[in-house]
Amino acid sequence: MCKFYFFTHYAMLRYTLALLAVMFVCSNYEAQARVVDFSNQNAQEPITGTVTSEKDGMPLAGANIVVKGTQAATSTDFDGNYSLDAPEGSVLVVSYVGFATKEITVGNDRVVNIFLQVDTNALEEIVLIGYGKQKAGDVTSAVANVKAEDFNKGQLTDAGQLIQGKVAGLAVTNANGDPTATSSIKLRGNNTLSGAYSDPLVLIDGIPGSLNTVAPEDIETIDVLKDGSAAAIYGVRGTNGVVLITTKKAKGAKINTVEYSGYVSTAKIARELDFLSAGQFRELYPESDLGANTDWLDEITRTPITHVHNVTLRGGSSQTNYIANINYNSQQGIFLKSDNQTFRGRLEINHKMFDDKLHLRFSLLGRENKYTSTGAGSSFRPGIYYQAMRYNPTAPIKNEDGNWYQNISKLGYENPLSLIKESDGNVKTSEMRYVGTVTYNPLEALTLNGNFSLTREPSTNGYSETLNHVSNIRDGFAGYSNIGGYTDTDKQIELTATYDKDLENHEFSVLLGYSYLSNEKEKYNMNNYGFQDDYFGGWHNIGVGNALQEGFAGMSSEKFKTNLISFFSRATYSYKDRYLLMASIRHEGASQLWGTNNAWGTFPAASIGWKITNEEFMNDQNLFNEIKLRAGYGVTGSQPADSFLGIGMLKYGDYAYVNGQWLRTVVPSSNPNPDLKWEEKRETNIGVDFSLKNGRLSGSIDAYERNVVGLLYSYNVSMPPYLYPTIMANGGNMINRGIEVLINTTPVETEDFSWNSTITYSVNENKLKSLNGSVFKTDYDFFDTGDVYYEGQTTRSHRVQVGQSIGNFYGFRVTDVDQDGKWIYEDANGNPVAYDDFSHAPEDRHYIGNGIPKWYAGFNNTFRYKNLDLTVNMRGAFNFQIINEARMNFEGTQNGYRDNRLSSVTDKVFGKTTLSPEVQAEYNSYYVEDGDYWKIDNIALGYTIDKFNTEIIKSLRVYGSVNNAFTITGYNGIDPEVNTSGLNPGIDRREKFPTVTTFTLGLSARF
Amino acid sequence: MKTKKISIAIGILLIMFNISCTELYDDSYGSVVSENFNPESEEDISALVNAAYVPWRKTMLLWNGVVRAQELSADQDVIPARIGIGWLDGYIYKRWHQHTWTTNDDSVYQSWSRTFEGINTVNRLLYQIDQGVIVLPDEDTQNVLISELKVLRASYYYILVDLYGNVPIVTDYSDTSLPQQSKRSEVFDFIIEEITNNIDNLSEEARGYYYGRMNKWVAHTLLAKMYLNAEVWKGEAMWQKCIEECNAVMASGNYNLEANQKNVFITENQDSREIIFALPMDEKYVTDWNAFDFHMYTLAQENQQTYDMAYAPWGGVCATPQFIDSFNPNDKRLKENYIKGQQYALSGEELSINYTNSVPSIDESDKDDGYRWGKFEYKIGSTNRLGNDFPVFRYADILLMKAESLMRSGQSGAGELVSEVRMRDFESAQEATVTDAELSMGSNYNYGRRDSYSQTYEGGSNITYGRFLDELGWEFCQEGRRRQDLIRFGVFTTKSWFSHDASDINKQLYPIPYDVMLTNSNLKQNPGYND
Repeated sequence: MCKFYFFTHYAMLRYTLALLAVMFVCSNYEAQARVVDFSNQNAQEPITGTVTSEKDGMPLAGANIVVKGTQAATSTDFDGNYSLDAPEGSVLVVSYVGFATKEITVGNDRVVNIFLQVDTNALEEIVLIGYGKQKAGDVTSAVANVKAEDFNKGQLTDAGQLIQGKVAGLAVTNANGDPTATSSIKLRGNNTLSGAYSDPLVLIDGIPGSLNTVAPEDIETIDVLKDGSAAAIYGVRGTNGVVLITTKKAKGAKINTVEYSGYVSTAKIARELDFLSAGQFRELYPESDLGANTDWLDEITRTPITHVHNVTLRGGSSQTNYIANINYNSQQGIFLKSDNQTFRGRLEINHKMFDDKLHLRFSLLGRENKYTSTGAGSSFRPGIYYQAMRYNPTAPIKNEDGNWYQNISKLGYENPLSLIKESDGNVKTSEMRYVGTVTYNPLEALTLNGNFSLTREPSTNGYSETLNHVSNIRDGFAGYSNIGGYTDTDKQIELTATYDKDLENHEFSVLLGYSYLSNEKEKYNMNNYGFQDDYFGGWHNIGVGNALQEGFAGMSSEKFKTNLISFFSRATYSYKDRYLLMASIRHEGASQLWGTNNAWGTFPAASIGWKITNEEFMNDQNLFNEIKLRAGYGVTGSQPADSFLGIGMLKYGDYAYVNGQWLRTVVPSSNPNPDLKWEEKRETNIGVDFSLKNGRLSGSIDAYERNVVGLLYSYNVSMPPYLYPTIMANGGNMINRGIEVLINTTPVETEDFSWNSTITYSVNENKLKSLNGSVFKTDYDFFDTGDVYYEGQTTRSHRVQVGQSIGNFYGFRVTDVDQDGKWIYEDANGNPVAYDDFSHAPEDRHYIGNGIPKWYAGFNNTFRYKNLDLTVNMRGAFNFQIINEARMNFEGTQNGYRDNRLSSVTDKVFGKTTLSPEVQAEYNSYYVEDGDYWKIDNIALGYTIDKFNTEIIKSLRVYGSVNNAFTITGYNGIDPEVNTSGLNPGIDRREKFPTVTTFTLGLSARF
Repeated sequence: MKTKKISIAIGILLIMFNISCTELYDDSYGSVVSENFNPESEEDISALVNAAYVPWRKTMLLWNGVVRAQELSADQDVIPARIGIGWLDGYIYKRWHQHTWTTNDDSVYQSWSRTFEGINTVNRLLYQIDQGVIVLPDEDTQNVLISELKVLRASYYYILVDLYGNVPIVTDYSDTSLPQQSKRSEVFDFIIEEITNNIDNLSEEARGYYYGRMNKWVAHTLLAKMYLNAEVWKGEAMWQKCIEECNAVMASGNYNLEANQKNVFITENQDSREIIFALPMDEKYVTDWNAFDFHMYTLAQENQQTYDMAYAPWGGVCATPQFIDSFNPNDKRLKENYIKGQQYALSGEELSINYTNSVPSIDESDKDDGYRWGKFEYKIGSTNRLGNDFPVFRYADILLMKAESLMRSGQSGAGELVSEVRMRDFESAQEATVTDAELSMGSNYNYGRRDSYSQTYEGGSNITYGRFLDELGWEFCQEGRRRQDLIRFGVFTTKSWFSHDASDINKQLYPIPYDVMLTNSNLKQNPGYND
């Protein structure tokens, strides 16, 4: 099938192989010479000692010690001890991340204790840049780095929450309180609509994964590649930015430590909506009084307990070492049967051989996850919370006969507690990742790396409802049961060769690589009902339901397979450590585009940097330690998420009646679009990194412009000529512009007291520049999208229009009410129109808000007094609106369903009068609110003891924390932090699992 | 030396892995690249061709489809808001009833998009036959099939010319330019031309393989329907042509009236000789959620026990009390086509539901209010889908179309034909018989606004041939066509009933749906609606 591009790619492949071969050959001779040289080292007693921090005397584990001018090197163990062969008079070069490198000449004393000074120059830190690392000072693109000690603390369930508010331009949103939810992350606004990759690429030690693949406790650093020139090395997957998660490592020569950390936490709804009590409801709707007093929300809520335990073992020597991590996380949600249990184990073994030229790493990561289902294949059924809100508070929980109270006349009305109690099931997911890495340094300058990984994630789910479940009482699904599952298999092969060379004044490196990724998904599902009782059947014996015999049982399976193949190269060059250059290119093919004319794409990037402080004319100033200007341009892209959109495909359609028999029809599966191609994001970034006053004040400022060309989206088209009303096409151009500021300061630093502070700020502006391309043949420059739900009705919520921002709400605008409590609208021409005269035509709608925050800010503070530390992290989002679905559903006075109401139902509208009961529920501007908020998100108070009289325990820390502590906002819903992604951001869904405030007590100890 | 070996080993490994290719996956599962599917057997071809019929049942019966577009806007049926139960649904049913639909209401959109799906499928199949993708055994078979597909396409346009009038005529699948709109009269001519050009090729087989398909007799009936409405759709009366088409069907001898009207609507009605064109249905094979669910959206929840239904029904649509009052109380159709009064469980136990012929208003009603649809048999033990075939055209209609044409063209004989149909509905032949003169009298329907908000009394005596309109109403209620008849008799926008006030004449056409307008700027909105 490679007919057309066969030549190009095999040519490229050959080129890569040839280069690799040449490098091998060159390397062998040089390497041999050095081996001989090294074996002639004298056999003196080794130097031993400890490396400690001068500031607090803490041992530094993993510090590097090299005998200058030789290959002899080691690193310290966990207690900072080292041992190294070094002749008298030789020079030891000791380096450790975050500390100034020190050189010590060996005298006749064979014990050398070394004290390192904290290097407050942040630009000396090492950051990951994809297929390699760089000194922060040499980076020419927008990259952020957050270390474990700076992570948020408390009950945090995934990597996203660890760095929430810490990276300028990275919006981490925890839009709901379901314990199975992971945080959603967005970098620099929305950049794709229907691309295969809508979120930043998350790599765990180089292997794709998700924010919850590894336990938060097992993470050492998180690096974020923000701009296009940085992310382009990952090609299309990097189009939304890249989050590089580095797990904890075993470092040093003699290693033997155990660490434990754990915590217990509980939670409550961040803010409970104020619904009518039974008494208030009775007063308002006497005819619907059912006589009981029930607080439905209270009935389904509990005080949850969550506990987490993490044990890390490190052991071995500098030749062979390992780290093992075991993590158990048992979470309860605030609602009954909402939970999530995860067990994770990780083992990583490092082995160096052949004079440390060959480095083998093998790692194994297992994750076992299980949570309770109250809906088929789902976690907590969202409808339960919605039912608890709407349910009549005068309805009893149970009838006198002991059965659940139900009212099945009312459409979609279900006793919320019965939904929980009469259903059971769970979802179990395992994940195994096998990773093997071979790194070979035939020459000092040449690194060959092979990275092979296999990830398999099988998941099974089972679910049953009892005969007392409303599904049986109302719909005759006696004992409805469902089993299903999927297996997701990812394979990755990545081969890279890096050549680094330092010549006088010139420093350069070249990277060549090949990457092959494949994904295979298999899914199945079956359901059955018609069980005689609750004893013999259910999902553990699904075949015995009668629906199978009667022909109503359901069964389905699916399979998808995709792959992504890339060749890439990168070069960096620096002249006199003043002028920096990086350029990369990636040539990539995606199977999703198979059958189109554009399966392969090329994505280049380049960036430059200028370290002004290294110029001679800056020698005389003492204010700045470092100033670096950066500029970069990079192209990334995205293929569509689904395969086979470019060519005509057939699938089975509905049955048709042919000559007395029912026959499956065969129909086209979609509108084929042979012109379908890569969506391209072209990004320009300029920035400056600075550090002054010996690092007391440092930071960076970045400005960017992202141009997305050929936006993939399922656009509405005229049918006919098209077969279906939508087609996946490259239709629009979108632009995102923004500025990001990060400032680190240490306002106070004394021996006993310190105050560190980080400020982040980001502003983003988004605009749709055009809608064009082959599928657009209309004069209209907009389309409507998104849905809002209210009282049995659905309406389009958003409009996407050229010249406007993504995320605009589009609906009727009410400006006032008349004396009868009926809306006064603004018509298309801006004139006021009375309720009874208003046609509610689509032309009468207006822009009534936008759901994407224009700017975000974060303010993180750490105070340290002796052994006591206090962290206060705050963050906020500003200038955006929220559609409050709860109010739209539960504030109307008409109340045709006689559902419970918010107590605001009796409020005066526009301060004048209550809403007329003749006014229909609808989507209008009255339910759109400003969402601006400032959250005191994370407060943690900790106490550390590191001086013990016993050898057994080395350090101990206890802490307490509150997450999502306070929110300052004018918004009336539960939490203004709502979903901000996609084309329909800013809708606060009525059934959303409420967000929570959590309280945590934790402890960590090192042995 | 060691390192050299390692280098070589790694080099070999690299090469091995690299051979793994630069090939992109092209495995599709559960679907097939069109070019790889070469239909050969009769079954393969049927599987492709019969896809063109599926949209008929969907457009007619799915949620907010043609049945509702024809009934809920007319004077026989209404879905009132049922307090404490539901059916507010954004007031879409109220707007339907009051003719205040907006251009982006679902009620306006669904009939358009589902019907065009049928047209698209036909065009695709004709193209595939033309291109030799679908190869038929011989030229005759091919010609018959092409004709059948063209008449099928015309039948979809029959729905569109009625509901929307000015629609684009699209016949060429390979033309991907945006379609141009045609005038209603041009659409009318197109339908007539397509059917008359192809009718001679069609099969004369009325049942068997051609049951539920476009055979010659369905085509004649379709033509009769077109001519019957020609005055409205084309602006030119064609009564004589209608009579000729009816005569052709009558002369074929393939059809006759059922002895009992109910037999047309029973669960196993596929053998009824009254049915000319049916949409075959089956509760197992037709699996769309709302495939055919009259029982679900008319019966109250309590009736679940009456029919031992798997699902509790939702209790929505009922007859307007004024329409029920227009019936002769002895008419069996009143008794058999509506569910009324005290309801009982299958076991005979009394249920807490008693349907009354009164409904307060479109905004307010109780679960008991209004008589319910009961024309189609609701099988004991029904799921949410009925398996009765849905008759679009039936022989009684042939008789009444002919009668109406005779009457309107000043010929005699209408009374005789109508009486023939009525005979099965009354105990006494005297009551069943109706004369030409009676049929040209006014309507029994007591028109006027009649709800808790206001009461007006317009009556029906000034409706020309009003009594004939009544006959159509009594015979064809719940069959998804009342709007068409009301328009032909000039009643649709001029009379008030229940919570509906007389609207304006532009409401005789639905607007071009908003979403459709947005995708094709060649389209001009129908008169009376915002462009």
